[in-house]
Amino acid sequence: MIRLQRCRSCGAAQYPPREICGVCLSDALAWETAEFLPGRVLALTILHHSNEPRFRARLPLRIGLVRLDAGPVAVCFLDEREPGDAVSVRARDDDTGKSVLEAS
Amino acid sequence: MLLIRGYDDIALCVPVTEPYVRRSEHGAHWFLGRALRRLLDGSGLVKGAIDGLCVSSFTLAPDTAVGLTQHFGLSPRFLEWLPMGGACGVIALRRAARAVQAGDADIVACIAGDTANETSFRDLLASFSTFARDAVYPYGAGGPNGSFALITDAYMRATGATREDFGKLCVAQRANARRNPLALLRDELTLEQYLAARAIATPLHLFDCVMPCAGADGFLVMSVARARALGLKFARVLGAIERHNAFPDDPVQLRGGWAMDRDALWAQAGIGPEDVDVVETYDDYPVISMLQFEGLGFCAEGAALDFVRRHSFTTDGSFPHNTGGGQLSMGQAGAAGGYLGLVEAMRRVIGAGARHALVSGFGMINYDRGLCASACVLEAG
Repeated sequence: MIRLQRCRSCGAAQYPPREICGVCLSDALAWETAEFLPGRVLALTILHHSNEPRFRARLPLRIGLVRLDAGPVAVCFLDEREPGDAVSVRARDDDTGKSVLEAS
Repeated sequence: MLLIRGYDDIALCVPVTEPYVRRSEHGAHWFLGRALRRLLDGSGLVKGAIDGLCVSSFTLAPDTAVGLTQHFGLSPRFLEWLPMGGACGVIALRRAARAVQAGDADIVACIAGDTANETSFRDLLASFSTFARDAVYPYGAGGPNGSFALITDAYMRATGATREDFGKLCVAQRANARRNPLALLRDELTLEQYLAARAIATPLHLFDCVMPCAGADGFLVMSVARARALGLKFARVLGAIERHNAFPDDPVQLRGGWAMDRDALWAQAGIGPEDVDVVETYDDYPVISMLQFEGLGFCAEGAALDFVRRHSFTTDGSFPHNTGGGQLSMGQAGAAGGYLGLVEAMRRVIGAGARHALVSGFGMINYDRGLCASACVLEAG
């Protein structure tokens, strides 16, 4: 599952989450829930260094920049997919309880 | 085109650097205060003559420029706090110059600096911006390395740039740094060493990344008449631009804000890119230097690759670039990274024989891209 903010006034999808629409400045933003969001990988990095101790045991990490079909661009954990590939983006809770996006 | 007032009557004087160090027990206040003291020592001015102050720093919290006035015993009638990171040097000169022209200040001290210790860099990254905290840092906490890695990867795929191309810039800057006693990294760097370095965030490897450090830079802004009366050597400002959040609909940042304003910059300057002797780009990661070559008109958009392959980029070479070594070899002392190119360019035109210099700045990866772009053209006074 994944939640995405959308403006009730102009219809623009928003990411990262915010309180004011980045297109029309309306504050009428609603959450839409979907099984997954389709997108395409724009760029990839394999992280070999982290500034946060809790990630260091899990390195290297594949991180992708994904253009959602809905419009916004999202930084995601990425499986073996490569730039140019179509992906499905879902949310999960990380080990601190924060919701993070995974593209596969 | 709207006629914008130029900077003909403005002088930039006394470029100073509080030498960079890898780590420090001192606070940012110490580095900024040392830079301010250097401005007084270099100009012969008394503290009370400084009636304007521009400050940039990432590690001054909970203070801002306001607290520094009490800390340093200044009573300025013009005060700016400029959180534009790598773009802040040119922006400070723009703010200060307009204040002097308008009569809101006579002599403006512009200073930027930061401290560095075991936790300062991580603390800065974890709370750098709302979007970064929510939508970038939880993805491995790569910091700017991770964000610029994604931009570099997209740029390589779009243009065919190779690691050798980026390496050429890094190696040339290290050669320039070897003559600069202020550079933290002065050991020889070969292309083979660059290519063999460990991966940090692919395609970025160790020598693509700047080394965080502590330090400060500064300069004075006043009228040409005042500089002459004080007997100070100076640089003139032929033109200056800034732009924020340019091209927001580009899915990846393959161009920066310079492209929106470069025609205005060169028109204001009255010279062209071909007339410039020295170019100081903002180089935290070599791909951004390439975007500046394109965005500022040194080559066509998308043609930086040919440009990089045609030039040597050393101080005595075919396109002198980041002549002090840039941040890649001098270190990145936080917000001082936004001043480094400007004070280096001032030194080149004030005392080292260059006639014209271009300086550009780039700052603030708020989410997936740098939002602030700035540039100026300087001329020997």
